[in-house]
Amino acid sequence: MTTSLNKPPLASGPGSFGDRRGGGRTPTAPGGTRRAGKRGGRTGYAFVTPLMAVFALFYLWPVVQSVLSSFFTWGLLRPWNLFDRSTWQFAGLANYRRTLSDPDFWHAGANSLLWLVLFPLLVVGISLVMAVAIWHARRWSVVFRTVFVLPMTISLAAAGVIWSFVYNPDAHIGVLNAVLKALHMQGTLDVGPLHLKTTGQWLADPGTLNLGFYDLRLVNVFVIIAAAWAFAGYGVITFSAGLASLPQELVDSARVDGCGPLQVVRHVIVPHLRQPMRIVFVVSVIFALRTFDIVYVMTSGGPGTDSTVLGLLPWQEAFAFLTSPQAGQAAAVAVLMSAVLILLGFPYLKSMLPRKESR
Amino acid sequence: MRRNRLTVTALYGSLTAASLVWMVPMVTALAISVLPIGQTRNGWWHGGLSQLTFANYRDAWSQGLASYVVPSFVITLGSVAVSLLLGALASYAFARLEFRFKRLTYFLLLTTMIVPVQIILIPLLPWLRLLGLAQGNAQYLGIILVHTAFGAGWAVFMMSAFFADVPEELLEAARLDGASHLGQLRYVVLPLALPGLVSFAIIDFVFVWNDLLLGLTLLDRDHQPLTVGLANLQSPHLAQENLVSAGSIMVVLPPLLLFIALNRFYVRGLFAGGVKG
Repeated sequence: MTTSLNKPPLASGPGSFGDRRGGGRTPTAPGGTRRAGKRGGRTGYAFVTPLMAVFALFYLWPVVQSVLSSFFTWGLLRPWNLFDRSTWQFAGLANYRRTLSDPDFWHAGANSLLWLVLFPLLVVGISLVMAVAIWHARRWSVVFRTVFVLPMTISLAAAGVIWSFVYNPDAHIGVLNAVLKALHMQGTLDVGPLHLKTTGQWLADPGTLNLGFYDLRLVNVFVIIAAAWAFAGYGVITFSAGLASLPQELVDSARVDGCGPLQVVRHVIVPHLRQPMRIVFVVSVIFALRTFDIVYVMTSGGPGTDSTVLGLLPWQEAFAFLTSPQAGQAAAVAVLMSAVLILLGFPYLKSMLPRKESR
Repeated sequence: MRRNRLTVTALYGSLTAASLVWMVPMVTALAISVLPIGQTRNGWWHGGLSQLTFANYRDAWSQGLASYVVPSFVITLGSVAVSLLLGALASYAFARLEFRFKRLTYFLLLTTMIVPVQIILIPLLPWLRLLGLAQGNAQYLGIILVHTAFGAGWAVFMMSAFFADVPEELLEAARLDGASHLGQLRYVVLPLALPGLVSFAIIDFVFVWNDLLLGLTLLDRDHQPLTVGLANLQSPHLAQENLVSAGSIMVVLPPLLLFIALNRFYVRGLFAGGVKG
């Protein structure tokens, strides 16, 4: 009891919460009935238990199973079971060793790395520019904002399908190729290490970027563009919310001081949006590493393994061929992936735990 | 003054241009879906209003998508309902009550926001089989509970934020009238936090409706949702752009309509997750 007076209530929701609570919890607050009304540990458990039961059965326990089963050899036709020793074919670290020495894993890892870099940059870049332009525009801002936010509601499966039309290699169907054809820009483009084929095979063979030790497959870029299209609305919403709290006087006084529009953006708006930018960036990173749907629909990881990402790998290993005993290795991939995400996402998660001061 | 007007024109001009480019994918899908396939193959942009047809939708519907619609609605509405019910109960405790391990449980719930679904995916099917949730209509219950578990972080994060905004004085008044915690939740917190509940319901609806991976993995052919149906329709070898486009519009439409009707709540809900922190 005494400790909870010193610490801000941690697990109590974000935001405006701290101040409201402070009032009721000051040491001068009457104890007795009032405190008994507010706390009441047993009621707390009773209220949390139903959700926690579902959470434990369908999330925590599967996570534990994933981790444990990644040390065994098993397949979905003969699943590993903690309570059935006959299903235990212990593999030690073999699944991890095999994964880490599997070129497919590193290939998928490289593609995921490209996602990890390019996707957040595209999302933050596009949505920042759009949000600031819309904020400047004032009139029609609702219409413009809606245009950029709407794709957010579209499932990534559908977004992938829709973009496949745009990328369609037939210049009579695909807009991108029709435009390039009309502009007579079909061919190949070689700029330094970049080898881009604008011959229309965007999801099959659009070329490579030579990094010296590795050829990045550009097909990933075209999948990432589609995903960024579907996701940028999140950034536009978040940045618009941030801009709504930007005091107009700040902008005006900067103008009076002789700042041009670009300088206002650089010295007033961007610093004001630092926190929203961080959030959009982190959420995009998480999203980029989890990616499954849009790759599955657009390329299924192909051609070959050119666009396979880490999110696709466990599924392919465990489910694409049900007879293969690769589920343990698939679990190992999922565990490695999650470890990376937890490391990257931990600061974000911590920031979501409520504090006294929000923002 | 003239320079100023030039800037404004340039701003609106580039915003309009960007908006038009942004709409190209949607317009493409929409146009292909309402034009005969013959016209699509000669450039849908040459198509005229006189060619408008709903035949593609009829064909997409009768050639398989129809059977995916009911599962999509059952799974989505079921998940939203269970998440709302269990989430509201738990969020009340997180926002308004003290109990041990509160911080730990809250943190565990939040991990669902960053950990990929893939971490539960592989052992999940055998586990659901063991629980008897892998056959017939029991599959619906299985996937609904998985969606509830995986959405628990968002549910508690959003709803407890909204519940926390309810003024303490109102709860105290209810307490003085002898209301139990359940009564306070039911008669004070829920009505006042209704906009927040709607926000969460919409976001959860969009999220569950749009899921592909769980539906693809956990359910048999007769219980899979529309997103899976669309993914099955999409095959580069079968040139059926007309059906695929109609299917994509059908998948997109329910969340889109919900968004347009309740835009305010949707944005508000995302604010709750986006701006704070």
